[in-house]
Amino acid sequence: MNSFQIERVKTGIPGLDELIEGGFPRGDTILVAGKAGTGKSILATQFVYRGAVDYHEAGVLVTLEEPPHLIKRNMSRFGMDLERLEKEGLLAIVDLSPSKPSPVMIEEYPSFDLSGLEAIILNRVRKLNAKRVVIDTISIMAYKFKSRDILREEFFKLCAHITNTGATLLLTSEIPAQDTGLGVFDIEAFLASGVIVLYNEKISDTSRSRSVEVLKLRGSKHSSRIHSMRITDEGIRVWPGEISPGS
Amino acid sequence: MPQLSQEKQREDEPEEPTLIEIVFFKSDSCAFCPRAEEILHETLKEFDTAMFKLLVVNVAEQPEAAEEYGVFALPTIMIGGVSVTGIPEPEAIMRMILGYRAAKREVKRCEQLSD
Repeated sequence: MNSFQIERVKTGIPGLDELIEGGFPRGDTILVAGKAGTGKSILATQFVYRGAVDYHEAGVLVTLEEPPHLIKRNMSRFGMDLERLEKEGLLAIVDLSPSKPSPVMIEEYPSFDLSGLEAIILNRVRKLNAKRVVIDTISIMAYKFKSRDILREEFFKLCAHITNTGATLLLTSEIPAQDTGLGVFDIEAFLASGVIVLYNEKISDTSRSRSVEVLKLRGSKHSSRIHSMRITDEGIRVWPGEISPGS
Repeated sequence: MPQLSQEKQREDEPEEPTLIEIVFFKSDSCAFCPRAEEILHETLKEFDTAMFKLLVVNVAEQPEAAEEYGVFALPTIMIGGVSVTGIPEPEAIMRMILGYRAAKREVKRCEQLSD
């Protein structure tokens, strides 16, 4: 491989790699955005799970929202045994969810950085020699801190420091119900070199249709269509040849 | 610090033998941390420093501690179950200390009532 060729990381999502020239560019930051219930967390977990099981690439799953015991329970529904991977040293789940006891911040001054979060994540990445990192979901940060400008700048640095280790970083972002952007920061799309958007649109009074769109992926020729997607017993599956009826 | 508060502090000392634990989280790369640490030390000097047990956690050396306490942002000063992030005003640290002492007194009072 010459220095201009892009090494691809298989996503572990059946059908998705066919839309993006074989996988995510290794060492890039990918944003998965979508409204509540579109399957962002399943896709993100599947990315680290399949990476470990199918490609023997260790992963770090940083949860800012759901506590680990619920992630494990919910993902077992899709045949993902996260506990086994933890025991095998192929997965670390970093619990930074609100359910974890932590000090209550009573005052925030606009003179801070995110080097605490960075130290936590990089420590786990180094210990496992992780090649895949997921932060689910960055939207929580916008509710945790008031100083949005600092957060934006700090998130740029955080993403760069994680991907500098060679790991591919996948961030999830929740799009508020009535919002047309990609999340609560307004800069989510700039943070990432790739943006995947998940939809679960109402197509009739009695049904909804799930779909996926690759909004951007730098350095890649990707599909510009909106493709059908389903949540199956094995997790998320994309039908590359099937265009979403809602699109 | 007002004189009245200092006198009150001395009156209370015999009743409060336990140390007030303060945890200061910093990192090597944090540009704001040295100033925050300075302000913390200056503020503690306003009290009887023997009242405090100050733990300094450098997350670059102890990332597990940052994970255990869920501390994302630095500098962070933690007293009891509350924290301030960023370069704090001395008044904020004082409020935390006084709030911690008041809470401790309340717990003690409740324990005595239940005995």
